[in-house]
Order: sequence, then C-alpha cells, then structure tokens
Amino acid sequence: MAYRKVEVATPLIVKVLPYVSILGFFLVWEIIVRTGIVPDTLLAAPTTVLKTFFVKLYDMDPDGATIVQHAWVSIQEAFTGFALSLVIGIPLGLCMGWFKVVEGLCRPIFELIRPIPPIAWIPLTVFWFGIGLTGKVFIIWIAGIVPCVINSWVGVRMTNPTLIQMARTYGANDWQIFTQLCIPSALPMVFGALQLALTYCWTNLVGAELLAADAGLGYLITMGGRVARPDIIVLGMISIGISGAIIGFVIDKIEKKLLAGIRR
Amino acid sequence: MKQTHSIANETVDHARTREAWTLKRVLTNTYFLNAVSLIVFLLVWDYVAREHIFHDSLARPWDVVKQIVYLTNHKYAGTNLWGHIWASTRRVLIGFSIASVVAVPLGLFMALNTRVNAAVKPLFDLFKPMPPIAWVTIAVLWFGIGETSKVFIIVIGSFVPCLLNAYNGVRLVDPELYDVIRVLGGSRRDQIFHVCFPASFPAVFAGLQISLSVAWTCVLAAELTSSRTGLGFLIKRGMDTYKPTLVLGGMLLIAAAAWLTSQLVNILEKRLCPWKRHIENL
Amino acid sequence: MNANEQLLKIRCENISKTFIQKGNQEVPVIRDVNVDVRENEFLVICGPGQCGKSTLLRIIAGLEIPDTGTVLLDGKPVEGPGADRGMVFQSYMLFAWKTVRHNVELGLKLRGVPPKERQEIAQRYIDMVGLQGFENHYPHQLSGGMKQRVGIARAYANAPTVMLLDEPFGQLDAQTRMFMQHEIARIWEQEKRTVIFVTNNIDEALFLADRIVLMEGKLPGTVKTEYKVDLPRPREHISMDLLRLRKVITDNTELVL
Repeated sequence: MAYRKVEVATPLIVKVLPYVSILGFFLVWEIIVRTGIVPDTLLAAPTTVLKTFFVKLYDMDPDGATIVQHAWVSIQEAFTGFALSLVIGIPLGLCMGWFKVVEGLCRPIFELIRPIPPIAWIPLTVFWFGIGLTGKVFIIWIAGIVPCVINSWVGVRMTNPTLIQMARTYGANDWQIFTQLCIPSALPMVFGALQLALTYCWTNLVGAELLAADAGLGYLITMGGRVARPDIIVLGMISIGISGAIIGFVIDKIEKKLLAGIRR
Repeated sequence: MKQTHSIANETVDHARTREAWTLKRVLTNTYFLNAVSLIVFLLVWDYVAREHIFHDSLARPWDVVKQIVYLTNHKYAGTNLWGHIWASTRRVLIGFSIASVVAVPLGLFMALNTRVNAAVKPLFDLFKPMPPIAWVTIAVLWFGIGETSKVFIIVIGSFVPCLLNAYNGVRLVDPELYDVIRVLGGSRRDQIFHVCFPASFPAVFAGLQISLSVAWTCVLAAELTSSRTGLGFLIKRGMDTYKPTLVLGGMLLIAAAAWLTSQLVNILEKRLCPWKRHIENL
Repeated sequence: MNANEQLLKIRCENISKTFIQKGNQEVPVIRDVNVDVRENEFLVICGPGQCGKSTLLRIIAGLEIPDTGTVLLDGKPVEGPGADRGMVFQSYMLFAWKTVRHNVELGLKLRGVPPKERQEIAQRYIDMVGLQGFENHYPHQLSGGMKQRVGIARAYANAPTVMLLDEPFGQLDAQTRMFMQHEIARIWEQEKRTVIFVTNNIDEALFLADRIVLMEGKLPGTVKTEYKVDLPRPREHISMDLLRLRKVITDNTELVL
C-alpha cells in the first residue's frame, strides 16, 4: 500500500504514562533508601547522588580527579580507539568484501579473534603497554573493529550483482567497480556499523577501566567500590550512561545527515 | 526487491566457469589462502614470542597448548580445567536463561500493548545506555563476590538485546499478514498467536545470539574482578602471576566456549524454525 | 438489463476514502464509487496502477472503513472483515512458518473446525489447485505460481460466499500468469462463487470477466464505465470477439505515467 492512515488520537494515558513511570521510578528509589528499606551502605538515594555530582565537580577526593577530568579521560580513550577501528576496520572490511585474496588471508585470523571478548585482552595489554592510555585504546580498538569489518564486508557483498554486471558491460575494470559502485552502495551498511561499534567501544572501555586504570569514569566506579561509597558508584554508572547516550545521539544525527545525502 | 537480489546471486554462483588448475588458480584458492594465513599468523606469533619482542609477555603457541593440556589433568586453584570451564559456562547459562525467559515475553508484550510499552519503555531507555560491566562494582557491593553477583551482571547484560529484538521483531511484522487473519475471520488473539509470535521468532533468536555474546563478556568481567573459579579467574591469575601461557590459554578457551554456545543456539534455531531460510532471504 | 437478472450480492453506495499521508497531507483515493455485484458473477475491476482499485477491494473486505458510503453484503452493511469474504493478496501473504497444509487449514482452524474435518477440506482444495504432493512443503520451497495457488486454496477452504482477489497474478511472469488465468477460470466454473477480481491487465480482465468495471486512471479513483463481456467460456486470449472488445476498452483508457 502506498498510503497508510496515520493514527491521530493517542489516548491521554499513553501520553502521560512515560512521565509517571520515570517519576515513579525515582520516587521509589528515593523512598526505599530514605526509609532504610535498602541500607545506605548499599545504595545511595538519587538526591545524594546529585549532591555528590556537584561536590565531585571540584572535589578530587577520594579518587584523585574531578568528574570532568574522569569523563575527559574516558572520552579521549573511547574516541581514539573508535577512530582507529574505523580507519582500519572499514577499509579492511571493504577490501575483504571485494578482493578474494584479502578475504582468504584475513578471514581466518578475524574469525579466530572475533569470539574472544575484548576485555579478555586486558592482561596482555597490561603486560604490553602498562595501564596507561595505549592499552585501553587497544582494547577499544579490538572491540570497535569487529562491527566495522563485518558491516563493510557485508555491505560490499550486498551490492546488486546486476549493477556489477552492468558496470562490466560499460567496460569498467575491477578497481573502478570497487571504488565507484561497491563502496558507495556499501555506505549505508558502513554507517550502520558506527552506532554498533560505538556501543561496543563504550562497554569495553568501562571494562578496561574497571580492571586496569588510574583515571576515567570506570575507575571512578572502582574507587567508589573500594571506599564503599555507593553514591560514587551510582554517580559513575549514571555518568557513563549519560555520556554514552549523548555520544550515541550525536553519532545518530551525523549518520542521518550523511545518509540523507546518499539516499537522495 | 531483495528476493531478486538473492536469485541473481544464485545465478552468478552457479554460472561460475570451470577452469583448469593453473598456478594462479591455486594461489587464489580460498582454502589455500586460509591455510597460508593461519600458518603465517602462527609463525609470526611464534617468532615474536621466541625473540622476546614484547619481553616475556607473549607465550609461544605450543607452550599455550601444553599449558591447556596440563590443566586438563592437574588441579589449579581447587579444580581442573573442566571445572573452570563448567564454572563459567554454568554462570552464563543461568544468567542467560533467566534473562531470556523474562525479557523475551516482556518484549513481545511491550510491542503488543501500548500501555505497557508507555510504562516500561522509558525505564528501559534509561538503563539501556549503561554498559552492563558498569554494574560489576555495585553487584559485588550488593551480593558479595559469590555466584549471585555474577549471575546478576549476566542477567543485566543479556536482558537488553533479548528484549529489544523481541520488541522489534513484533513491530516489523508485515501488517498485511494481520489482514489475512482478519479476512479469515480470526480475532485479535489469533493475530497474536498465528502472526506476531511466529513472525518474531527469527528476530528473537538474533537477540538471543547477541545476548549470549554479551553474557560471555559479562561473565569474564565479573570473573576478572572477583572470583575463585572460571576461565576469567584463570586469565586474572595468569595476569597476577605474570604467566602469559595461562592468559592466552584462557582467552582461547573462552573464545571456544563462546563459539560453541552460539552454535548451540544456532542448532536450536534450525530445529525450532525450519522455515527460517526463507525469512533470511526476504 | 436482461430478463434473468441474478440476485444482488454486494452493493457499494457512494464509497469515498481519503488517506492521510505523513505530514497530514490528504490523499483522496476513491470518490463516490457505486458498484453492484450479482450472485455468482465474475466481476473484474480494471484500471491502471494507483487508481484506488485495491482500496475499494479492501473496503469491501472490511479491512478499511470508508469515509462515506456503505457496502451492503446480502443487504446488510459490512462493518469489518469476516469469513464470508475470502481474500487473495498480490504478495501471496502466506505464513512462512506454516506448511502448505497448515496455511490452507488456517481459516478452518480459526473457526474451530475439528482437525480431522479441516484436514479433509484442506486436502480437497489443495487438490483443486493442483498442489497434491506439496502439502508438507514450506512456502519458501514453492515457486511464485504455486504460492498463489496456496493463497487461492486458503481463501476457498474457508468457504466464503465472495472471493476477493487483489491483483493475484501481479508478481508472476507472463506465462505462469496466463496459465493461472486458465486455472482460476476453471476453479470458478467448478466452485461457483461471487468473485471480485482486481487487475491492471486488460487481457486478464477480458479473459475472466462477466463484467468489467473500468476505473479512472488518476486519484481520486472513480468508476469510468462498465463493460459486459458476453462471450462463451472457455475463452481464448486471441478470439476475434475478445480482441474487438479489447480495442474498445483500450481506446477508452488513457495512458498514465
């Protein structure tokens, strides 16, 4: 059907329910901590977390940095690793999709490394690079490269074979078909990988920071755990969630902008 | 549209011409290249380890294999290798089962009922961007370092993909299929049982696959932080005692375990939806 | 009208329908359509693409509610879809997770017919469309023509009094299409039903119809003219009478791109 009727009237309750449920969630959280149903050694009330947030904006205790510094370290690591995985993963995936030789050579190694959870690399990276930036960038790179390679590979593979045959009848050589036809037609899939890769990067960044770090939002959580301050733990978790959501939102916007240019 | 693509693909595949065995053909043969690639990979690995390019922090492949074999019949921290593998797998299976049993029906339910959706979706969106590994510390604070905290993290981690895929699976069903049921005189209930559920099956299974790989990551994170058994423990112990053979052995085993469980889900899926191939091509 | 006029089965009175596209843009799809269908008549609604003919069929099926006008089935207004009207869809709409037999049985199952009985009925219609031997195949194992046979059997098995076919052969290649036209004519001779058949193909319309309703080729769709096809069956695509009528209709159809 070319046309579908748009539902006009949304019932009031459906409009209100999301707000009610969010509000209710925070309210219940606040109440169970305040009334001591859940002891405050295990969980901090949302208001306490908010207070800790403002304190942590300038106070370096107990983990040696303000929250902005932590966030900055995490974002730096995430973006370096993310950018590296794009720069290496996408061309690699594209070539694997088109050149049989590249696929034959890279695929076994890729399939071997793929099922290893990226955080399993942590000990090796600590051996190799210490607990600084490099090790974490390496882990994030490993995490991000998998969706980049797979999506660009599948993207090239999904090029309409009729189009390829058409290009051949026009006398295009392999390289021209690859650059002029396969890569553009793979782009939507490649952009689809960005969001996925970012999620992986962000998840594994937290893992890396929890286990081997001296700064970053994951480290903030670890320190909160070590000094038994649930407010700091929860603050760390929320900051990670919010930063992740913001980055995801930005990537999504960029993706839509770029894709709009391709589709038209 | 896509169907024509796959048909065209088939024709291209079948139409591949038979050539004589020339040198070039052998050199570009996929299996040959795969073999070359693996051999070169192992040789480079061995070379790097032997020449101590990363100091002592990379073990030679053969030593890793020896370490794994050694562990199968020697106790390490109370149990042999099978015990460690089973410890990790058990956690994954328990957490994964709990998550899928709760999340899949909830996802289906959310997609079917706008009110439930309106109430649950925002909460879910609130938790979604928080990586499951970020829960490790608070899980330990809440449940101690025992099994509960590990299972908790796995549940948190595998919950999201299960729910999201079940939800989207129902949402993406071709609405005309509901028309078929309506024209045949079926009720809303028939639409749900004959269209919604079976049509969302492939998506649900895709979600289970993702969940499973997240579950392995989570169990690893949990075991790396605090545990006395499991593959993550082996890796962590290898890190603490500076034994690269143990670290690499653990990595290979966890990869193998993750791969095997995902194959199991694949087999289950083939069993449960024999019609699946069609959906893939659609 | 001739003397032995048959019983009126369906009457569409002043049907209009407007869709709201994204961005609240109103698209009038059909306007003031009046169509009468007689008992056991083979009516073909013919018109070029995008003229609202499918929407009209969906309104008769009860899947869409018209903005104005009513559809009377046996004198009673249609308020929703029901088992008394069977529908065959252009894109087959088979349930990929059910075998041919279960697809065909579905309508009976929904109405609570006991398993043994519904299997017998299903088998009869599977035989009728010539799919014996394929009962336990899944739709993805069938060709396009076979899929649509399942669609037809599924609709017939539910014993509707009216069959609605929405461009059922639109996705088939020309030869299969021609063959399926013979099949549907044969099935209709065998199991007389009131049939409303939507198509954009004039040859198909002429081959099958007792009467052709020609629709205007632009939105909103309106009924342009009606043609009675009083040719003996079985027909031939290349009989002179048929070609003569074809010329009349084609001259009356403007090309819309």
